[in-house]
This record gives sequence, structure tokens and C-alpha cells, in this order.
Amino acid sequence: MQNLPISVLLADDDEDDRILFQEALNEIKFKTEVRTVGDGRSLMEYLNRPEVKLPQVIFLDLNMPLKSGMECLHELKSSARFGNIAVAIYSTSASEEDIEETFVRGANVYIRKPDDFNELKRILEKVITINWQYHTSGLNRENFLLSF
Amino acid sequence: MFQDLRSVFTSSFFLNIIFVSTLFLLIFISGISYRYTTALTDSSRLVVQSRKTATELGHLSSLLEEAQSRHAAFILTGDTSLIRPYLHAGVKTGPVLQSLKLLAGDNSQQIQHLDTLSRLIGHCLDLMARTLEWNTGLAADQARFKESLMLGVKEMERIRVKIKDMLDFDSMHLKVHQDIYGREISLSPLYILFVMLFSMLVFIFAYFRINKDLKLEKANNEKLLLANESMNHAEEIGEFSSWQWHLQTNAFDFSDNQYRLLGYRPFEFEPNLDKFLEFVHPEDRHKLKAARREMFSGPQNPLSVDFRIYRKDGSLRYFRSIAKLFTDGDRRPVVIGIHWDITHQHLNRLALEERNLELEQSNKELATFNHIASHDLQEPLRIIQTYVSRIIDSEQARISETSQGYFSRILAALSRMRALINDLLLYSRTTKTEKVFQLSDLNQIFENARQELAQVLEDKQAELSSDPLPEAKVIPFQIQQMFVNLIGNSLKFSRLGVKPRIHLSCSEVPSDPYREHHTGPVKKFYKLTLTDNGMGFEQQYARKIFDLFHRLHGRDEFTGSGIGLSICKKIAENHGGEITAEGRPGEGAAFTILLPH
Amino acid sequence: MNLYLKFEVNSLFQKVLENELKGLPVSYTVPGPGELTFHELVPDEVLEAIRARLDQYGIEILENPKAVLIQKIKDAIIELVYREDSLARCKVSVYLSERLRFGYGYLSKLFSESTFTSIENYLILQKTERAKHLIASQALTFTEIAWKLNYSSVAHFSTQFKNTTGLTPTAFQRIINKKRAVAAPGQNGVQLSEHPVDNAF
Repeated sequence: MQNLPISVLLADDDEDDRILFQEALNEIKFKTEVRTVGDGRSLMEYLNRPEVKLPQVIFLDLNMPLKSGMECLHELKSSARFGNIAVAIYSTSASEEDIEETFVRGANVYIRKPDDFNELKRILEKVITINWQYHTSGLNRENFLLSF
Repeated sequence: MFQDLRSVFTSSFFLNIIFVSTLFLLIFISGISYRYTTALTDSSRLVVQSRKTATELGHLSSLLEEAQSRHAAFILTGDTSLIRPYLHAGVKTGPVLQSLKLLAGDNSQQIQHLDTLSRLIGHCLDLMARTLEWNTGLAADQARFKESLMLGVKEMERIRVKIKDMLDFDSMHLKVHQDIYGREISLSPLYILFVMLFSMLVFIFAYFRINKDLKLEKANNEKLLLANESMNHAEEIGEFSSWQWHLQTNAFDFSDNQYRLLGYRPFEFEPNLDKFLEFVHPEDRHKLKAARREMFSGPQNPLSVDFRIYRKDGSLRYFRSIAKLFTDGDRRPVVIGIHWDITHQHLNRLALEERNLELEQSNKELATFNHIASHDLQEPLRIIQTYVSRIIDSEQARISETSQGYFSRILAALSRMRALINDLLLYSRTTKTEKVFQLSDLNQIFENARQELAQVLEDKQAELSSDPLPEAKVIPFQIQQMFVNLIGNSLKFSRLGVKPRIHLSCSEVPSDPYREHHTGPVKKFYKLTLTDNGMGFEQQYARKIFDLFHRLHGRDEFTGSGIGLSICKKIAENHGGEITAEGRPGEGAAFTILLPH
Repeated sequence: MNLYLKFEVNSLFQKVLENELKGLPVSYTVPGPGELTFHELVPDEVLEAIRARLDQYGIEILENPKAVLIQKIKDAIIELVYREDSLARCKVSVYLSERLRFGYGYLSKLFSESTFTSIENYLILQKTERAKHLIASQALTFTEIAWKLNYSSVAHFSTQFKNTTGLTPTAFQRIINKKRAVAAPGQNGVQLSEHPVDNAF
């Protein structure tokens, strides 16, 4: 089972971030299947395609054109179909208050985009691991909160 | 005013009492005088009557005596001319008795006396006639003559006695009546005098009283005049006017200034509703009407409406009308109101609103700038950092050692810049975020700060403790930020080789010793003091360390942007408190925060 | 009359699987003979049904001894973490090697290879998860939780909690409370069962 690639989706409007994200995931020991979109609207359009295979983790940038990460989070969490997908906020630094707010609204992970590539790899690996642990060890999802 | 009204009321009541009592006194005096006069008249009439009775009785007795004497003389002389008076006497006693009867009036005793007398007189005269017969003429009889003569004399005597009785009775009667009258009227002059004196007193009192009231009234009038005058001036200074609208008569009263506010001289036009509405800006007339309807819809609804008017000279002014429906003293409905020329205020408010709008705009721009600073400005920096770290990582073997050094310097500069941006953002957020105060347990907040710093505390083997802290109304996130910054500051400037000991103590202090900083209504402060055993600082820098970007140490010695303590200061100020520092070089520092109770 | 049949075992196997797994909520591929790969996690009862259906053909599910051992390690750790008496005052290495009768080095290597995490990290994860349950249930103070989970101090507990989750225990509690308030306004948080459902893998 571990050999199946873990499918991951990233919505970020910054091309550099998308490249770095993809490169970082390629270098970790998990096998992952990454897909990226450039804004919130394309994210929701993609997910709503009937034939699409739902990802296990969605990484969401908060500041995006057309539809913000917060709006996407709300849509994801209020939908029965996507409600169980782990959502990781992937954003530039924010205040503790803002971070708490996203958790309250249903995010599982908050990642302040790191300024070091190795750090990014470490974080992504940890997120994927913990998500996998939650997935495989039957942990209570309500308690799945991670902040970096 | 109320007091005056009452005194006026009592004064008029008093006057009424005086009037009524005086009236009674006068009636009383008149009654007494009338009775006195009547008594006097009666008395004098009685005296006259008495005198007349006496005269008539004297007349009667003299008539009888004359008849007797002539009778006697005839008998002696036989001269017939002497007996002529018989005839007269017989005639003459009649009218005398008649007038006596009149005089007796309804006095029954006197009438009885009179009857007896007239019977006696008749008898006597009869006797005399018979005596004459027996003396002379055909049937002369000496014996009988003598006997009747004797009888005549006796009869005469009885008449005299009777007359005397009557005289006595009359004078008795007079005396009794005089006594009665005398008793009746002897007290009257005293009464009159007394009543007169009393009346005089009442009049004097009334005079003084009325005089006093008049003076009071005059003074009140003057006050009223003054009040009116000052009201007029006040209206002119304050640019307002008062008006009344008598609903039953639909009549309007405008104060002088009402005319002036409309650009007229006082009473230059006839005030009425239609005339006033002519001044009102056509677009605002419906507003005024709606407000009026609203006022009439309920007794407690005051009217308050702003509208524009055109003055006589065509200039535009802003008016505020405030009015309320009352009932006057006679229960007639009257609307009392004022007009206030609020042109200045209105223009000022417009200017203020405009400035507010500008401020809001610039605040929005600032927020946008903050956003740009936080996100867009950091983004490229972070990307550069990440790529540089990636290059160092993957190309390590190919890059010269010098270049690697350059790269790490680039990274250091980049992270400094990001830290600066972050801190600036934090500072501006502290300034601008909405201030939501919550009653919070400071112990809990302190614990949160400890948890946030758990790693550094462990690394430095530091000891962090606190007194039991109170609950206070604060912005929890900000206080936590302040604790974190202060504890972080203490940890950063700990002395090498000395175990950092940081303690937060707490006490309550009155505001007095800190009055120079606070003039607000706050009575008590929580005084939180964070003491450390670190490097401390020269006391002369105690104020400067809170300045933005102020650093006491070189960048190479200690990292930091110099914003952390500025944020603490801002937070303390946000709470209406303050923060001060005290330092002893090489011994430690103490930061004191005052938070309103 | 006799008929002689020629058959291909692999196709037969494939057909049997196809028939038996039809109607079950699983998607799968057959990578090779005698191997079956499910695309998602298969619940126990479904797995049990598959086991029973295949049994009538004499097909037996062979369990991977390594996977079984890893599951045993996990079970042992969970048991350790949820044990009510003062949690494993002994060392986890000693506990595991005694219990599973393998050298700790072997167990550790095996575990890290197949789970992408170390036994120590897994223990911390499970401890943290239990701590989360305890914090969320609000029955105990942080001091009591720290003691119960065998931390030397609240500070130590807080540090490890923050290192694992990125959140301080207080922040975690606050978020959970807010989340519950949002989910069920007017109600206080639902009491959570403290024991996790151990979804064997």
C-alpha cells in the first residue's frame, strides 16, 4: 500500500512556489502524485469534474486571484464530497490570530512558506507522513492540526 | 418664579379678605348709626308729645278753673254775663280732649286716664248747670243748691287730682322711655369709635400690604424685562429664535430674532405658517411636514428636523427646528419651539466628514500597503532565499568557498530584511487592529507566552516564574505578544554563564503617583513588573529603548530589528496604560507595565 | 464419457477473483499471480468477507509477516500510550523487545523502512494524539495531562506538543473549543471517546 503514490493538489498563484513545491515533493521519500492549479476557481473547477480522482491533501495558498484560499476552504469544508480531504494552508506569514481562524474554519495544517528549500522538504514530508498516519492509524481527524 | 407666583396669589387672597371684612364693618357701622339716629328721633318726639300733653292738660285745668270761678261769681253777683263762659267751656273742653287723645296715641293707660277725665269734666259741668238751676229760676231750692254746690266743688277737686295724676303719669312715662333710649344709645358712640379704629387699622395694614405687593410686582416686572432682554440678546448671540404656534387660533408668535434670522427687521411681516414655509427650501418642505405629522402623532413626540431656508436676501442657511406640543394655562394646545441657525455647525460637520472620508481612504491605503508589505514584498524575498538555499545545497561541490560565504551573507541579509518587514507589519497591526477587550485571566496569557517560548526557555535553561496574576479586561493576543516580546528580550540579553531568572510580579497601585501620565477616570492600575538578571542597560537609555528601530547593541552582537519593545509600548498604550524600564548594567533590567484596573 | 479439459490457472484465478469481488465496495488491480492490490483502504469487515469467499476455493490470504509485525509494534505502542497505570515508566525499547521478542534494533529498522517514521516518533505522535484527546475532553489540567503521559514537567509537555503540532496546548484547546462552537452553536463540545478505533492495516 505504501507503494501507491499519494496524490497531492496545490493551488498557488505564484509560479515559483509551484515549481519549488513540486521539486520538493519529488525529493522526499514518499511517492507522490502532484497536480497544481494557479487560482482558487480552477481548483474548484478541477475538483468538481466527475471523473477526477480526489487528492489526499490539498495545499491552499490564501492570497489568490479570482477565488481566495479562504473561500476555497469554506467550499471544501461545507461539501460532503470534499469534507474529508485534508487541507493544508500554504501561505506567507500571518498573525497567530489569522492562523487560528483558518483552523477554526476547518484547515488541518498551516504552513508558513519557508525560506529554505530543505525546510520546505522537511515540512512537506512531515505533513504527508502525519496525514498518512491519520489515514492509516485511525486517528481522530478533528484533532488533525499542524502548524509550521 | 414659582415663589413669586405664590406670594402674588396669597396677596390677592389677602386683599379679598380685607375687602369683605371692610364691607362687613361698614354695614355694621351703618346699622348702628341708623339705630342711634332712630332712637334719638323717637326720644325727642316723646319729649315734645309729653310737653304738649302737659300744656293741653294745663289748658284744660285753666278752662275748668275759669268756669268755676265765673260760676261762683255769678252766684254771688247774679250777673248773667258771667255765665256765658259756660257755654264756651262746654264747647272748648272738646277740642282739648280731642288733641289729648291724639297725643296719647296708643298709650292705653293714658287713654283710660283721659276717658275718666272727660267723664269727670262732663259730670262737673253738669253739676254746675244744675246748681245754677236750683239757685235761680223757677225751681230754686236752697237746700239742693247748697248740696250741689258742695258736690261741684268736690267734683272740681277730683278733676284737678286727675289732671295731676295724668301729668305725673306722663312725666313718668317720659322718664321710663328716656331711660330706655339712654340705655340703648349710650354704648353706640363707643361701638362706632371702636369699629372706626379697627377699620383704620385694617386700612393701614391693607395699605402697607398693597404697597409691598406693588413694589414686589414692580421688581418682578423689572426682572421679567431683564430676562426678556437677556433672552433677546442670547437669541442673537446663539443664533436661535423662539416661536409659539397657537393651534386653536392658528396664530404664530415669533421672537424678534426669528425675523432677524430670516433677514428681516422685527415684526416686519405677519407671522404665519404659510409665510414661514415660503422661506424653506422647496426640497425640504416635505421634510418639515413629515416632522410635523410625526409630532402630532403622539403627545411625547418632540419635533426635531434640519432644513434649509433662504433669507430675504436669498442667502442659504441651515436651520434646525426643535419643538414640542404643550397645553397652555387654559388647556389650549400650543406648539413651542426654537429655530437654530446651524449653518456654521453644518459646514463644519461637512468639512469634518470630508476629512473623515479622507482619513478612511488613507487608512485603507495604509492597510493595502501593510498587505503589500506583508505579502507581495516578502514573496520575492522568500523565493530568492529558497532558490539560494537550493543552489547552496545542490551545487555545493561546484561553488568556491568564497562564493559560498557570499551566499550565506546574501541569505543573512535577506532574512534580516524579512524579519524587519515582519516586525514592521506586527507593529502596524498593533496600531490598527480592532481593539476587542475581553475579561481574561492573565495567568493563562502568561502561560501561553511561556508555551510559545518553551523551546528558547529550554535551550537557555531559563527559570520563568510569576506571582498569581489577576483577571483584567485586555486584548488577549496583544498582552500575550507583549509578554512574549519582554520575556524574549530578557532571554536575548541574558548574561553568559548566568542562568536566566525571569520573574513577573504583580501589585495594585492607585493612579496618583502616575498622574502625570494619566488624567483619565482610571482609579487603580495593575502594576506588572518583569525582572531579569540579564545584562541590564544604562538608565539613561530607559526611554530610548522603546523607540522604533532603536537598538543599544550592534547587529553583530544581537539579532533583532529594534521593534519588539516599541510594540510593547504600543500595546500598553492601546490598553490605556504605559510601560517603563529600569536598568542596572551587569545586574539586570526591570520592565514595569501599568494596566488600568 | 470423459472430457479432457485444458485450463490456465492464472485466468481461472483472475475469473474467480472477478466473480467474488463483484459487488463489494473495492477497486483493485491484480499486478501478478497470487497478488491483489486494493486502491483504497479496505475496512475489516470487507476484508473478512473476502477472506470467507475465497476460502471456499481453498484460496488463503497469506499475511506478510513484516506487515504483521509492524502492526504488532503499533498495537504495542498504542497499548502503552493508553494504559491507565503510569504510562510506561520503562523505556520503550525495553518494552517492545520484551513484548515482541525481537531485538529493538531490528524492530526499529523494520518500522522505519515501512512506515517512513521511527518508533520514537510514532510514540510521540501517539502520545500527542492522546494528549489532544485529553485536552479536547477538558477533564484534566495541563499539569495532570503532563503527569499522565509521563512528561517530566508541563514545560516539557508544552515544548514537545508545540514541536509536534506547531501549536501550544492552549492554542490547540482554544481552536477545538471554537470549532465546536461553530459546529454546534449553543451546545457544549461533544464528548469524544478517548480510545481511537484502531484500523488495522
